[in-house]
Amino acid sequence: MGAAAVLSISGLRTEFRTRRGPVAAVDGLDLELPAGETFGLVGESGCGKSVTALSILRLLPRPAGRVAAGSIRFEGEDLLALPEAAMRRIRGNRISMIFQEPMTSLNPVLPVGFQIEEVLRKHRGLSAREARAEVGGLLARVGMPDPQSRLDDYPHQLSGGMRQRAMIAIALACRPALMIADEPTTALDVTIQAQILELISRLQAEFGMSVLLITHDLGVVAETCREAAVMYAGRIVERAAVARLYARPAHPYTVGLFRSLPRAVGRGGKLTPIPGTVPHPAELPPGCAFQERCFQRHAACREDPPWAEVATGHFARCWKPLG
Amino acid sequence: MAEALLQAEGLVKHYPAGRSGLGRGRAVVRAVDGVSFEILPGETFGIVGESGCGKSTLGRLLLRFEPPTAGRVLYEGRDVCGFDARRLKAFRREAQIIYQDPYSSLNPRRRVGELIAEPLEIHGIGGPGERRERVAALLGEVGLRPEHARRFPHEFSGGQRQRIVIARALALQPRFIVADEPVSALDVSIQAQVINLLRELQERFRLTYAFISHDLGLVEYLADRVGVMYLGRLVEVAPCAAICADPLHPYTEALWSAAPMPDPAARRRRILLAGDVPSPIRPPPGCAFHPRCREAFDRCREEAPPLREVTPGRRVACHNR
Repeated sequence: MGAAAVLSISGLRTEFRTRRGPVAAVDGLDLELPAGETFGLVGESGCGKSVTALSILRLLPRPAGRVAAGSIRFEGEDLLALPEAAMRRIRGNRISMIFQEPMTSLNPVLPVGFQIEEVLRKHRGLSAREARAEVGGLLARVGMPDPQSRLDDYPHQLSGGMRQRAMIAIALACRPALMIADEPTTALDVTIQAQILELISRLQAEFGMSVLLITHDLGVVAETCREAAVMYAGRIVERAAVARLYARPAHPYTVGLFRSLPRAVGRGGKLTPIPGTVPHPAELPPGCAFQERCFQRHAACREDPPWAEVATGHFARCWKPLG
Repeated sequence: MAEALLQAEGLVKHYPAGRSGLGRGRAVVRAVDGVSFEILPGETFGIVGESGCGKSTLGRLLLRFEPPTAGRVLYEGRDVCGFDARRLKAFRREAQIIYQDPYSSLNPRRRVGELIAEPLEIHGIGGPGERRERVAALLGEVGLRPEHARRFPHEFSGGQRQRIVIARALALQPRFIVADEPVSALDVSIQAQVINLLRELQERFRLTYAFISHDLGLVEYLADRVGVMYLGRLVEVAPCAAICADPLHPYTEALWSAAPMPDPAARRRRILLAGDVPSPIRPPPGCAFHPRCREAFDRCREEAPPLREVTPGRRVACHNR
């Protein structure tokens, strides 16, 4: 992309130890995240989108998972080469993260206000009193109803939507350059989801930060992102501006996703599911990982497909891209 | 209008909610709080609403899994709670359920063939040989292979497991199926396979579905008519096409506008509801939706609006419509 990248991943390979030996959940992933906007990373379960996020933050479950190759450049440094102490200064500070289920990321035995103060004291070096003073304002900014009275509440006393607001307040406490949101609204009802997506969009613009929004929901991407990438079996198979991606998808997998979506085909339209299931990461065919489910498979698919530029800024990893 | 296959009349289901504040009396969860509608033969009736609105409880009441606190369910005009043993057994054959999670609804220690044959055994249908044939045929109906009968549930993917659940629900040749979030646990590409299967089966066996879902896109695609629930009550019942094009109740309108559209060109006006859904233990007085409603006025705070017909086939519970 022409615009400056806030983060660039190249050749990332993340492996997990299994009984069948090491298996790559992410393999050969290249991704440049544009600065100052919301970028969507879409894919179905097991495609490696969450593993990508955990690799960026170096939060992979140990010892099972490890980054086997690649680099992740952020603010002039390779995150994968940093000592743990330096990484700790970046995590939660320059790069923060919100997860699907805020109940499991908040500490259940500490009041919410205290958990936000802790971030301000640890990362920004504020005194307890200064931190306390700032927390109320932070909660107000994320739209927490009646923020002052919520400071002493424990996570279980908040609704799902309020918990996610508290998580976002923690994520924003240090004005990060990049916020990674992994399925931030998947556990929420649709009216609450709308509130949280609106909040993320507003805060992204206010703080001028970059957001990596990871989701399985093409509707969520359409409404919040300017640009997006589609992942399949550990790699990015397509990337384009959202308007272009939805109007003229180029990779057969992306095309298949849209044809499977009731809202995209419309009432009375015919759903055309993608045949079969995602192959196990240890049993990927050589060449294109999607070939066995593809409606236009041919001989060349046994070879690694090129990252083809279908139109300006629109790429697909395919021998015969559509679009 | 055609004769209804199933009718709910003033259905109420309250559950005890443990002790209330000072130990005086017992609080109740008003899971379903006065619901009336009908399901016509051969149609897909969508029941939508957010978590805790009572849609799953309603599904269970329709199948007589538990008795209602008040009101009745009529199946072919007769109260399901008044069925004698013989009639009840027939009802248990004709009315089936498909649950959301194909991981917890299949016993992991039994083979697929046994799981599908179980309803036949319970109802004493056929001998072992006939049952085996029937299981093989059912597996074929749902797109699996006869040899799958010998395997265990864990050997299958989520989508295949849901096919097994569907085969089991079809074993007794039912007429009515409550599908409670049947594809919510599945990925989009697999969802589409199961949705297509449900539609094919409906056509082939003239099934009637009560399709419970939080996924508006799915309901929009599948349902003939839709009932929208909020805090235990129906706020709107209408043909699906009408509700999508022109929702009448302010909650329906907000719900539809909040559902993300997979179309970046469709920049719609999103109505953001303030706050959360109130607790069904202490629902607001009057119209339960009034604290979040932009159009609420005095009467909404005092008097619960009844579900009434505004145009033929369209019912809405709102003082403003």
